[in-house]
Amino acid sequence: MDPECSRLLPALCAVLVDPRQPVADDTCLEKLLDWFKTVTEAGPSLLLLQENPCLVELLFRVLKAHDPRPRVLSFSLRLAGLFAAQEDCFQYLQGELLPMLFGESGPLGGAAWTAPTVRSGWLQGLRSLAQHPGALRFLADCGAVDTIFSLQGDSSLFVASAAGQLLVHILALAMRGPAEGHPSPQGCDWPACAQKIVCHVEDSLRSTATLQVTQALNVLTTTFGHCHSPWTQGLWVRLSPLVACLLEKDPIPASHSLVDLLLSVARSPVGSSDCGLWETLAQTLSHLSPTQAGPLALGILKLQDCPQALKTQAFGVLLQPLACVLKAAAQAPGPPGFPEGATGDSITVDTFLSSKSACVGLLCQALAHLELLQLLPQRPSPWPQAPLLRAAVAILRFCHGSAAPTSDVGGHLCAVLAGCVRVQRAALDFLGTLSQGTGPQELVTQVFAVLLEYLTSPDSSPMVLKKAFQATLRWLLGSPKAPSCCDLDPHTQLFLGELLPVLRKRLCSPCWEARDSGLEFLTQVTRHWGGQAAFRHALLASEVPELTGQLLRDPESYVRASAVTATGQLSSWGLYATPTGPEHPEVQQESLFTELLHILSTDSEGFPRRAVMHVFTQWLKDGHADVAEDLEQFVARVLQAASQDLDWEVRAQGLELALVFLEQLLGQPGSRCPYAVALPEAAPPATLAQVLQALCRVQLFEFALRALFDCDRPVAQKSCDLLLFLKAKATPCGGPQEAGASPDVVSVEAALQRWQAGEQGQPLGELEPEAVMAVLRSMDLEGLRGMLAKSSDHMEKSPQSLLQDMLATVGVLGENEADCY
Amino acid sequence: MPEIRVTPLGAGQDVGRSCILVSIGGKNVMLDCGMHMGFSDDRRFPDFSYITRNGRLTDFLDCVIISHFHLDHCGALPYFSEMVGYDGPIYMTQPTQAICPILLEDYRKIAVDKKGEANFFTSQMIKDCMKKVVAVHLHQTVQVDDELEIKAYYAGHVLGAAMFQIKVGSESVVYTGDYNMTPDRHLGAAWIDKCRPNLLITESTYATTIRDSKRCRERDFLKKVHETVERGGKVLIPVFALGRAQELCILLETFWERMDLKAPIYFSTGLTEKANHYYKLFIPWTNQKIRKTFVQRNMFEFKHIKAFDRAFADSPGPMVVFATPGMLHAGQSLQIFRKWAGSERNMVIMPGYCVQGTVGHKILSGQRKLEMEGRQVLEVKMQVEYMSFSAHADAKGIMQLVGQAEPENVLLVHGEAKKMEFLKQKIEQEFRVSCYMPANGETVTLSTSPSIPVGISLGLLKREMAQGLLPDAKKPRLLHGTLIMKDSNFRLVSSEQALKELGLAEHQLRFTCRVHLHDTRKEQETALRVYSHLKSVLKDHCVQHLPDGSVTVESILIQAAAHSEDPSTKVLLVSWTYQDEELGSYLTSLLKKGLPQAS
Repeated sequence: MDPECSRLLPALCAVLVDPRQPVADDTCLEKLLDWFKTVTEAGPSLLLLQENPCLVELLFRVLKAHDPRPRVLSFSLRLAGLFAAQEDCFQYLQGELLPMLFGESGPLGGAAWTAPTVRSGWLQGLRSLAQHPGALRFLADCGAVDTIFSLQGDSSLFVASAAGQLLVHILALAMRGPAEGHPSPQGCDWPACAQKIVCHVEDSLRSTATLQVTQALNVLTTTFGHCHSPWTQGLWVRLSPLVACLLEKDPIPASHSLVDLLLSVARSPVGSSDCGLWETLAQTLSHLSPTQAGPLALGILKLQDCPQALKTQAFGVLLQPLACVLKAAAQAPGPPGFPEGATGDSITVDTFLSSKSACVGLLCQALAHLELLQLLPQRPSPWPQAPLLRAAVAILRFCHGSAAPTSDVGGHLCAVLAGCVRVQRAALDFLGTLSQGTGPQELVTQVFAVLLEYLTSPDSSPMVLKKAFQATLRWLLGSPKAPSCCDLDPHTQLFLGELLPVLRKRLCSPCWEARDSGLEFLTQVTRHWGGQAAFRHALLASEVPELTGQLLRDPESYVRASAVTATGQLSSWGLYATPTGPEHPEVQQESLFTELLHILSTDSEGFPRRAVMHVFTQWLKDGHADVAEDLEQFVARVLQAASQDLDWEVRAQGLELALVFLEQLLGQPGSRCPYAVALPEAAPPATLAQVLQALCRVQLFEFALRALFDCDRPVAQKSCDLLLFLKAKATPCGGPQEAGASPDVVSVEAALQRWQAGEQGQPLGELEPEAVMAVLRSMDLEGLRGMLAKSSDHMEKSPQSLLQDMLATVGVLGENEADCY
Repeated sequence: MPEIRVTPLGAGQDVGRSCILVSIGGKNVMLDCGMHMGFSDDRRFPDFSYITRNGRLTDFLDCVIISHFHLDHCGALPYFSEMVGYDGPIYMTQPTQAICPILLEDYRKIAVDKKGEANFFTSQMIKDCMKKVVAVHLHQTVQVDDELEIKAYYAGHVLGAAMFQIKVGSESVVYTGDYNMTPDRHLGAAWIDKCRPNLLITESTYATTIRDSKRCRERDFLKKVHETVERGGKVLIPVFALGRAQELCILLETFWERMDLKAPIYFSTGLTEKANHYYKLFIPWTNQKIRKTFVQRNMFEFKHIKAFDRAFADSPGPMVVFATPGMLHAGQSLQIFRKWAGSERNMVIMPGYCVQGTVGHKILSGQRKLEMEGRQVLEVKMQVEYMSFSAHADAKGIMQLVGQAEPENVLLVHGEAKKMEFLKQKIEQEFRVSCYMPANGETVTLSTSPSIPVGISLGLLKREMAQGLLPDAKKPRLLHGTLIMKDSNFRLVSSEQALKELGLAEHQLRFTCRVHLHDTRKEQETALRVYSHLKSVLKDHCVQHLPDGSVTVESILIQAAAHSEDPSTKVLLVSWTYQDEELGSYLTSLLKKGLPQAS
């Protein structure tokens, strides 16, 4: 432990036990424990206690306090647990302190026990402590296990959950060592502590109270999830009949936890060796209601090794709701086209008909599960792509009210799903995922038709609209290219013709979310198809680019930012013609560059300005026409605007752009760690001099040197990296002649000193490259970089700072307490 | 029995980060989704694993409601919706939706980009999250689905802060978020109607405090600023972008105007324009005074407050600077602080709470030698002042709100356990309702009586009206009718209509009773004696002697018969309908007493 911390500890311990001193911030004790955890993990706890006797004294005094404060008591329990995790320290504390803290004479019987934080601290303390055989004996002697049993049903979720986890931990600890191997299922050779826990679990499984059954199932789920030793096999042999008995009850108790347990067992090594398990899983699938069976079915399908028959059954369960939908939507009777076992059974139909929320819940769950499954490598094969597509389209039509149902169930679905945003969102997500597969053209046409319906419909909520755009994008990008050339196929071209007017309309929507989603869609589709002739033709024929330009002046900053990104992207592909003003069509308006520069200099919100910087950086990388026209002019103007920006992210992005410029002039460095560049790669002196001249002309040096002392650390760090890169590139070749103590150097150094002191001062004006290089050489940039890495946060987060803060709070807290934002 | 369950994941006996789960009528709602700025790891967010274990989040939760833009109420929202995976609807007021991303973005930049913290949301995530938001207007009932509806009420506290009523069928819960029952310089006081919810979940930050008038605090603040400026010192006020900063700006602006002061006031990083924009946009959310004067002059267009430039910090002479962030933990406010800290003439005023670890926290706890980067020690000689301007209801205000809403139960959150205990007792004594204060993770379960809505037929109502009994909403009334339960519907109709609708014939139900009288005379004479007696006693009733010898009083029929075994005894057969039950019983008891002797 740091000597300074060691010096502060006694005072802090004294404060903690003083009931007149309120405990500072509620996060302080947590952070203190974090620190003790790292200290105890790094070295011997016993030594720590011996060197800092105030810690043991703290524990004693907290125990003896007449009315201990729950938070401090909880802290002490957890702290004692951390120390006692090491066996020698445990021995040291075992005599008196640990029984007093964790035994019946301790807080257990006191008034403070009513506070959940104390019960939680007690459990966490034991959790840390239970690391060695000595701890097991201690737990048995002080009767802790019985208390943990009762805490499983605690009124606090946190306490109940911690109790369950502690039981698992103790069971695993007990089974470690002598009992490890293949103990008998009867448990006659199991350690007493393990016996006790397993018997308790058995009793709970037999209980008629659902809560108790749930607790037992949760303990087992965690056990099989975390412990993969051979003894777990014996445990399952012993308990599986009891678990199977639960399936015979009607209704099945704690079905959710039961599913979790069965899947946990199936994933563990126990699963692969127990054939009975597959039977139990199959039985459970058929016993549970469709909604309860869904998560189990998905879990089974995710398993690596599992009998095909079971997988088929599970897949059938997931498909049932969609099979029902297909049946209800069918114009003529016939199988829905799903594999055998998924025909829209009567139980699913009953669930659909029982209530609106049951129907919506089941459909959303099925869609989400199938969406997940579709992305998995172990998804069932063959994948029923076509019927799934039909089902997704049918659901979306039911929701939209455009389906014409022919059956009673269809009519019911129509009534229930009409306008249901929840199902719409789930179905659109699912439809988007299905774009990974193919389908018959007639179906794909239906998909595009239904997507267009949603994109057009005034009833689509902003969230639904966003999902419709996302699904459309996925289908568009997944659509096949025409066989003869690399252009879009005729169907896609046809669809584009219908889509762009809709997009245009959405860009004029009064709802900002809709405009933004439209712009995001446009950006994405242009990024991928900017070079496709058909797309270019369709886009230029629409008014979409012009409208996008108008949205640069949108009242909503998010939309302005998206419009900046979209116009930047359009312009990169030559798809953005500067619009002519409506009032004076004869006057050609300013270029996009000027317009974006105007946004960078004047927009009151950060999002659009940041977006502009990203576009400019990308343009510079791509060699955009507007940039290439006068590269230096471009960089100079952008840097000038960025340097004055109030948002540090814009300034940091300015440095990013400066670095790209530098790289283009000096050649790409091998890695993003520029100053590590190999020496021979440095540019020859003649070129270098020209480069430095250029850098001076665009005033990159002044920008970077000022940024070096920016009040926002990331900017200073970026600038430091940039200058180090430059220094590494320029120095080895000698660079321009040494400038010595020329007047230029003196003025630069003076300016640097002023900036370092936080003053702004006058601009440097025209600089000579020699002077700049001389200054760079004389600066300890590496040292500065190291200092920036150790920021004030580094100090704030130190344990010493924490202890000081906690001590300093004493006495002054009264006036500031209980305040918040 | 239906029940309402409430589990705080945050704000249960603390003021850390609000996140409260409510189950009502089978619907699950999350109230607020806050972040704790005191932690820099996952502990800053509520532990959502307790919800995810119930299956998919979007299937389990029906909606999330955010009360206002403070990060301890909305800071975990992008994490919850974009990283944990909640994809359902989020409700908040329009100003909250507009201001939330600015504060989230500011915090993200400090946490991630400056401090390099991991597992945090990105800018894009904030935007995607905000696009899931459904904005609600005050007093507008929003239908989340067929059964669940919510309604927002004005909460004061900060621009756009709202209390929410959540209703499923006849059960309802009101969540106050943070609120203020006294108007301040730019906001009005919280208000709710007498909605009599089953449960009122209220904040209790100042559960035991009766706060002094805000005017005193304001006077103090102005005095301190004025004194410092007068002696040529500089005043730094670290603030968060929106909220309190605007209130203090109005305060200084009017004071400067009144006193004709010349020292410049600056506001950093272009926030005045931004604030102006939002306050202009949401002027209906401000208080009456601002709304009234807005037509003549926008109070947020400050004459004396100018945008700050970094160069100004070095200017000689007095000045006042509002700079972000509010806890002096990074950026411009920290830079200015470091510059000015060395002079006794200067002053820093902290108008809000600071978490441990920040420079703000250190100087407020009296530390005067701060170790900055590079092990440099900064000696703080400038004066340090703390002035709480946080706008929460005090004990009086909380009691006032409970009185206004008239809830059946109260649940306290967002406060300290000890203080809650005191307020709990006070509420229970004064309002005779149960009051709860669960810790984080503890569930409170309340049974509610099922309430079944019944429709009343127009005919029945008209008949009641015809009797001159006009309906009065405040007085419960007894109404006779027939309850028809059909297709899960309940209707109260007149019995005639019920018979007609159901195609049933009416059955007459008569009560009968035998009264034995010692009378040797013939049956006809006994009947006549009965007639005469009743005629004399029941003067207000229509007593008739019918030709067949029987006597009637209203619907009551009395017949005399001879006793089969005892000729000296006569049996009076009395029968009546249920409408005349009272009269029938009276008559029977009268006849049982015997007839007066014939004179």
